[in-house]
Amino acid sequence: MLIEILGIIVVLMALRTLVAQNRSERLLYLNVIGFSMSAIICLYIQTPFGAIIAITFFVTSTLSSNAIAYSLGRVKEEIMVK
Amino acid sequence: MNEILGIVIAAFISWFNFVLIDTWMGLPEAPGVKGADVIGRSVKARGGDLAGGFFQGNIVCSPDASAGTLLASIACYAIGTPEGGLIAAVLVYFGNRLCADPGYAGTTGALSITIIIFLTSFIGFKPEYFIVGMVLAILTIQGLYHPWASRLLGKIAHKMGRHTKLT
Repeated sequence: MLIEILGIIVVLMALRTLVAQNRSERLLYLNVIGFSMSAIICLYIQTPFGAIIAITFFVTSTLSSNAIAYSLGRVKEEIMVK
Repeated sequence: MNEILGIVIAAFISWFNFVLIDTWMGLPEAPGVKGADVIGRSVKARGGDLAGGFFQGNIVCSPDASAGTLLASIACYAIGTPEGGLIAAVLVYFGNRLCADPGYAGTTGALSITIIIFLTSFIGFKPEYFIVGMVLAILTIQGLYHPWASRLLGKIAHKMGRHTKLT
């Protein structure tokens, strides 16, 4: 039942990411997906190495969010594909 | 103990654990990394509070007490109750250093939730309740409606004397 709750949260956040207004708002929803995914990884792989995988996944996803947010600050105008 | 009730109580405990530690460590005061500034100003532009926006941006851009709380619960669940939390604290510290953050909020959050999990295990709480509870807690901050969440975080920062001086 725990994984089902987390799965519902991931689907809800994925839908909200689709209707978000701009990229920095989208990053906040993706952060919730990162939290839920590492929780799902750990609850599904119930071994000590599963915990290491979940922690590594979370820290690296934070690193990539850091890089994306930094480059959003440098690109002032969002370039949209027409 | 009833599973749903346990998850809800664990969510409240995790929420207060990471919000209080992060506010005390000064997350709402200033953006720790450059990306957090962008996210904070975007939240403010959508009608939120700047200090709350910096708080949310700092959570996204670096593993802070929120990440420490989740990862320590994960490690306590899969590795074992006191020792898993210590391993998680070390890994969160590495993550903080990679994100160019001082790294005290993450390790403090991981160690404090390890103590809480150890103490509440005597009254029937399991570490998996804290894993799901922490995801629910971060959902209320980052996933529901950012202007309201940031105003609430701004009020807490104001009460603890950590509101931002930037405009």
